[in-house]
Amino acid sequence: MRPCHGVVRATTAVAPLPRSAGARRFPILLASVGALVVALAALHIGLGTVRIAPGEIAAAMLDRAADPVHRQIVWELRLPRMLIALVAGVMLGLAGALLQAITRNPLASPSLTGISAGGVLAVVAWLSFAPAGLAGGGVLPLLALAGGLATIALVYTLSWQGGSDPTRLALCGILVGAICSALTLLLLVLDAQRLGSVLRWIIGSINGRVWVHWEILWPWALVALPLGLLSAGAANALGLGDATAAGLGQRPERARAALLFVAALLTAGAVAVVGAIGFIGLIGPHLARRLVGDDARRAFPLSALVAAAILLAADVVAQALTLDFPFGDATRRAGLPVGALTALLGAPFFLYLMLREER
Amino acid sequence: MSAVGKKGRDGTTSSALRAAGVRVSYGDRTVLDGLELDITSGTVTAVVGPNGSGKSTLLKTLARLLRSAEGTVFLDGTAITSLPTAAVARRLAVLPQGPTAPGGLTVGELVEQGRYPHTGPLRMLRMQDHEAIRTALTLTDMTAYAARPLDSLSGGERQRAWIALALAQDTPTLLLDEPTTFLDIGHQLEVLELIRRLNRERGLTIVLVLHDLNQAARYAERLVVLDRGRIVADGVPRDVLTTALLAEVFGVRTHILADPESGAPLCLPYGVVGHD
Repeated sequence: MRPCHGVVRATTAVAPLPRSAGARRFPILLASVGALVVALAALHIGLGTVRIAPGEIAAAMLDRAADPVHRQIVWELRLPRMLIALVAGVMLGLAGALLQAITRNPLASPSLTGISAGGVLAVVAWLSFAPAGLAGGGVLPLLALAGGLATIALVYTLSWQGGSDPTRLALCGILVGAICSALTLLLLVLDAQRLGSVLRWIIGSINGRVWVHWEILWPWALVALPLGLLSAGAANALGLGDATAAGLGQRPERARAALLFVAALLTAGAVAVVGAIGFIGLIGPHLARRLVGDDARRAFPLSALVAAAILLAADVVAQALTLDFPFGDATRRAGLPVGALTALLGAPFFLYLMLREER
Repeated sequence: MSAVGKKGRDGTTSSALRAAGVRVSYGDRTVLDGLELDITSGTVTAVVGPNGSGKSTLLKTLARLLRSAEGTVFLDGTAITSLPTAAVARRLAVLPQGPTAPGGLTVGELVEQGRYPHTGPLRMLRMQDHEAIRTALTLTDMTAYAARPLDSLSGGERQRAWIALALAQDTPTLLLDEPTTFLDIGHQLEVLELIRRLNRERGLTIVLVLHDLNQAARYAERLVVLDRGRIVADGVPRDVLTTALLAEVFGVRTHILADPESGAPLCLPYGVVGHD
């Protein structure tokens, strides 16, 4: 041993350390979940009032469809809808993973931190009060973002007591979210005429989403997804507690605020286009961490893919149910909102995971 | 004791860490009151004192985890608050008391975080980072545990993993807050022997908070005794540990012997002052 500190030039070559089970599994899991997402995407495009076989989808995509109607259905309706489900799922999954890391709480998610509810409230308020000509289109994501950011800023301020604290942050998020949801409902009661159209959006739905909506979504994804994935290193340090993180040279308060902002960007972008689809931002990251461990560099990308797979699968099921079991005229026309399904299936599934983990 | 401070260019011992007139308070309560402390490079200093005397606060302030209301902490002669946080973390590692991590994190992933201040924004590891991680795991005897999740470890193993994290930072100065708490006597001695080894073989400057006075006397060349936010005794263990001081600070009646093996003072507490 040499009598000085400093980087020790190893006398022998540095052998790689044994890798954890999660690290070994990661590439295979990422590839298989990726393949699953592609398969679900094909199924998603194929399913509908007109069923289209995978071969036909491929032909339509390459502009060589035998049936011009199929080409039109795929290009004008199914493809944008699938892309929106895919990207919104990725965004919500990554947002959930970020929030669970920031709050050090496996129960945190976009819907449980008030970001979704704040975004929804802002949009519903706008739809209720704005002049008819302005109500819609590109301004909605900005509103959802403003609402989501304002909510998370409020939550952050309320939970501040000489410093922010992950537990207080999570609890304040739930409370402020509840207040936002209550205000949203109040607005809807005052303006009952809009109830039908807005309600589907509050539950969260991909029905009727076309290229216009995609145009709104992709810029957010392009900015926020890389930011979210690149913050994995910072999230790892923050996960060791504020004192350790500060000892490692991080500024924990600043890092937490920055990661919350990225999570709000991701959530608001998705909420603005598909509404407040619940539980996939909770279950996606939860499953991903069980599969590959707590290292954010693996958990973040896998959370995003798992959440996308869940959202696509849920929407496929929602469409199938709409086709086979008409729930009244309105549903037959507009389709079952996927948010209803994710909440209905997601909540019990999460309960099951939690109880299993307790044991 | 053995370790001799690194000599500065002018032949004097150099200061690794110095607190000058440091005052820290939580709300109305003043925890550290005008504290002066100079830690010489290459030495092991133990901070002891009763519960609530400000030991942890002192360590946190030295590591700039807490800002002092008054006074300055100097790291290698520079005011610590004027340095970028990453620059501080490359020169000083601190292991806080009772640290927590996600239970699914593995030892290797935890220790890798020690390279945080050395890597760029993308946290890509270079050769020297892998070497530092490897060295930290070897020193703490944790190499075989690298792939194990933290929640599968015993208390002693987990503590060693956290010490490895601090070592992976590869800093000349190391601050440890009660590194032996919750460990059985075997693991306590293992940690203390490691600290001695790091000091003697690698010249690390180490400041640690300890509860056990006899262990502090054996493993540190300097004892700093804190009582209600002030330093009440400071020096080599033989001079510091006196019956009078122990009665005054801890309120215990003791006999002090010489450790037959090391010659360090050995306190045998007999009872609480005034209860005999």
